Amino acid sequence: MQIGAQRRMVMNVPWGLAVATLLVSLVGIYNLASAAKGLPTPVVKAQAVYLALGAMTVALVAWVDYRLIQRMAVPIFIINLLLLIAVKFVGHKAKGAESWLVLGPVRMQPAEFMKIGMVLMMAKYFHDDFKPTEPSYGFLRLVVPSVLAVVPIVLVLIQPDLGTALMMVFTATTLILFARIKWQVVVTLLVASVLGLGVLWNDYVRPQSEPKFTVVRHLLKKHQDARIAGWVNPESDLRGSNYHSFQSKIAVGSGGVWGKGWNQGTQTYLRYLPEQHTDFIFSVWAEEHGFFMCLFLLTLYAALLFAALTVAFNAKDRFGAFVAVGIAAMIFWQVFENVGMVTGLLPVTGITLPLMSYGGSSMLSVMLGIGLLINIGMRRHIF
Amino acid sequence: MTLGRNTEGRDLRTRLLIVGAVFGLGLLVLAINLYRLMVVRYDEFFALSKDNQYKDVRIRAARGEIRDHRGEVLVDGRPSFDVFVTPAFCLKCSTEVLPVLGEWLGWDETKRARVEQSFTAAHGPQRYQPMAVQIDLSRDQLDFLSVRLFQLAGVSIEPIARRNYRAGSAMAHVLGYMSEVTQEELNVVNDTSGSAYFLGDARGRRGVERAFESALRGSDGLRKEVVDARGKVVLDEATGQVMSSDVSAPVPGNNLVLSIDARLQAEAENVFPGKAGALIALDPQTGFIRAIVSRPSFDSNLLSRGVTAEQMAAFAADPLQPMVFRAAAEHYHPGSTFKPITLLAGLQSGSFTPHTVTNCPGGYRLGNRVWRCHKESGHGPVDARDAMQKSCDTYFYRVADTIGIDPIADMGRLFGLGASTKFSVAAEVSGIMPDAAYHQRVTPGGYTKGMALNTAIGQGDVNVTPLQLAVMYAAIANGGAVFKPQVVERVETSAGQETQSFKPELVRQIPMSEENHRLLVDALTAVVNEPGGTAFRSRLTNVMVAGKTGTAQVARLGSVRLKTEQMDYFERDHAWFAAFAPAENAELVVVVLNEHGGHGGSDAAPAAAAVFKKFFELKASDAQGFGPDWQVKAPLTAAPSVLSKPVAKRDEKPDPPAAMALMPVDAGHPSLAGDLPPTQEH
Repeated sequence: MQIGAQRRMVMNVPWGLAVATLLVSLVGIYNLASAAKGLPTPVVKAQAVYLALGAMTVALVAWVDYRLIQRMAVPIFIINLLLLIAVKFVGHKAKGAESWLVLGPVRMQPAEFMKIGMVLMMAKYFHDDFKPTEPSYGFLRLVVPSVLAVVPIVLVLIQPDLGTALMMVFTATTLILFARIKWQVVVTLLVASVLGLGVLWNDYVRPQSEPKFTVVRHLLKKHQDARIAGWVNPESDLRGSNYHSFQSKIAVGSGGVWGKGWNQGTQTYLRYLPEQHTDFIFSVWAEEHGFFMCLFLLTLYAALLFAALTVAFNAKDRFGAFVAVGIAAMIFWQVFENVGMVTGLLPVTGITLPLMSYGGSSMLSVMLGIGLLINIGMRRHIF
Repeated sequence: MTLGRNTEGRDLRTRLLIVGAVFGLGLLVLAINLYRLMVVRYDEFFALSKDNQYKDVRIRAARGEIRDHRGEVLVDGRPSFDVFVTPAFCLKCSTEVLPVLGEWLGWDETKRARVEQSFTAAHGPQRYQPMAVQIDLSRDQLDFLSVRLFQLAGVSIEPIARRNYRAGSAMAHVLGYMSEVTQEELNVVNDTSGSAYFLGDARGRRGVERAFESALRGSDGLRKEVVDARGKVVLDEATGQVMSSDVSAPVPGNNLVLSIDARLQAEAENVFPGKAGALIALDPQTGFIRAIVSRPSFDSNLLSRGVTAEQMAAFAADPLQPMVFRAAAEHYHPGSTFKPITLLAGLQSGSFTPHTVTNCPGGYRLGNRVWRCHKESGHGPVDARDAMQKSCDTYFYRVADTIGIDPIADMGRLFGLGASTKFSVAAEVSGIMPDAAYHQRVTPGGYTKGMALNTAIGQGDVNVTPLQLAVMYAAIANGGAVFKPQVVERVETSAGQETQSFKPELVRQIPMSEENHRLLVDALTAVVNEPGGTAFRSRLTNVMVAGKTGTAQVARLGSVRLKTEQMDYFERDHAWFAAFAPAENAELVVVVLNEHGGHGGSDAAPAAAAVFKKFFELKASDAQGFGPDWQVKAPLTAAPSVLSKPVAKRDEKPDPPAAMALMPVDAGHPSLAGDLPPTQEH
């Protein structure tokens, strides 16, 4: 039985997910080789090391029975919270945000791991709280999961890391919606969205005379404000707040159908792209490889997400399903926001493109998620 | 069995499908947006990405040279190393770059504030144009800065051709100077044709630099260099060369050829007496100016380097007003130099003939007042010629009393007085030629006969500019042709091809009878060449000079006659001398105004004599050296100074210095500063 179970587990590994993940990662390294030309740090080598570490992480995470992880969800969540708090005190500053924790040669961003921790914690809650007689969540029952989401989000927000916090908001919202909510909550959320759009319209679109009445705008940091203003009016201030967004659009658009060729992107080579090896990596790919290769990359992501949702569909229990949906949502929202921002569709926030962007923490956090997905997928017939 | 297929997890199934649909929709939106950017708007973005690669680098056109009549260079360019800041590429400019740069270059607070101000004023595409922040680096500064330049983003050093006025302050009012365009000008100027100006560019100010700005300027070339996002030039990896393409070559500005003779100009500068005033030498047959002095002057080189507001204020505060172009932009009482007008008006009226004799008892009675002649003892009986030679005031009082002020004013206006001479390269004032109507309008109490008497001798309200007087005497010399005075002869391309040439411009031909012309020339010749003439000391041995002295009273004096030296500078008389030579078929008119200089005969005429002497020496030597046409066009490519000077020397046999000032002071030596009858305040 034990041997049989093991064989079954290997058979049940979601290989499509593994292959899609590996393909995206390899495409990422190939792309980095062009994007990082002239950068002082050996980016490609480092990314290869991260990929190897990531693969080991996947194997490690997949091996441990996820029910053990389920039991450990609370401590994992608390440790992540503590790390986030620690970062506020002993964090290393980079680009104005104290989001790095330095331990000897290792530098890590706790926020990246907090995302996984939050998904695990919320999944555990929805698993434990499930009542077959009362499957829908009203306001009262949503208080606890909301708190579980809001606490880490606020901690990430004060780092400040608006981008990651935003991603966590989307991921948590996806999970809550997935948990089946009462229609009153749906209506409330709709009303809230309309109100949000109203605030956006009031603060940024509506022509106002001085003194201006704004709801949120005056609370934002200057660069955040500029980005939203630029996003609302994308053809304005091309030399200022919309500079990066516009240069990225030029890079993507000038790629055309077939692209300029690997290593031939002028926007990339002449450094018109900000953070071209991390946040704006997709622009490099688009400029050099063109529309069809962009579709190819999006298809890989689609395959990855499809495999993730299949894992959720086939999961043995609610915890597994919620974790799988949470991980899938985390990846999806990041892809959506990142590609959206480099093509001028969404405001610019510092969000990496999963598996494509250079960075160890980003790679590891995605790989943790993939490991969890594989873990859940391979154990669908166990127990 | 898995959850999704279980009844227990069946509720998740629908929602999983919804989640999948949302993900799929999201990716579809991304794909559509990519299609929009990469396929639909491809051309637009591809063009933008091409634009991005290149920085337009201006290749500045060399400004045209200004040369004299014979090709000698008066103004050209010299290299200067200037520091530029490109606002768009200057990161942390006001917090880091400018303070450091300022410290290295020793800027004071005001300078730094000024740079910062123009820095913040740059908007839009201007931010991509380098802005000059320090010009003319010294060699030490250049060495110091060039090795540290890499520390400062957006700062560069470029060699710039700077204007070089070879004779410093000579002719500064006519040549003009250069200074930076202002922000306001940019908005106006760049709307018109021609190549655009950018911050830090210089424009011609005043004089021909200004009047011929577009001709001198040329048009800039354009080179496209491949640059990265920070504006740094990208080198070709294979060759290590700057990757660039020449789009258009600069077209150098055109050269101006002036009618000035640099050698005559140098002599005029040299012999000019006193500290303020003007000297004009022009060709009476054409109106072209051969030499023009306005004192005091300013150094065009200094102004072109950029003066501070304080320096400018100091200029303005100078009581002698060096920025004022005295040759045309300031007017003065002409004094006795005006008398030919009165004489002609008298003759023209028919009331006077050349032989009409007036007795001068030392003054003229009008009503119950006596208008005094400058010679208290009187000149006795004088006819027209005598009156002119001896500058007898009484004679002219009588003319004015007889014919009134209007015929005099009409005659003056015919000769160009009271109106602009249309001298196009510098500002000028029109002077005043008063008539009865003028006095009715301006003078309290209206016109009275006494005003005509004052006007007749160039006092009262009559005011002329030295240039007007030169034009007037040119017309006397040539028989009545009033020419527009000009200083630019032609415009040539840098290759020497003529693009524009200026011909003599006749403003008016005065109907002057041959008899009157003869009389006037004869009388003016007598002023210089006969004993008793007021400029007798300034005659030349080999050339007949005809002219008229003038001593214009500036301040009303008390009953005690003061010597010039005893008077306050600004109350002293102006000394005038206006002359032409040779008396027949004149080739040169010279007008000298020695402001507050004293007497025309002693303080203005000698300078004119020296200029005449030099002129005819040059004419003789040029005729020997270059053939029959003395106005040799030296080839523009050769160095004119080398050509001209040794040749001139070959023939130089200076006249004995005694020739000019041998005669003792003559009886007619003017003491014109007598009490004049009460006139209007000047």
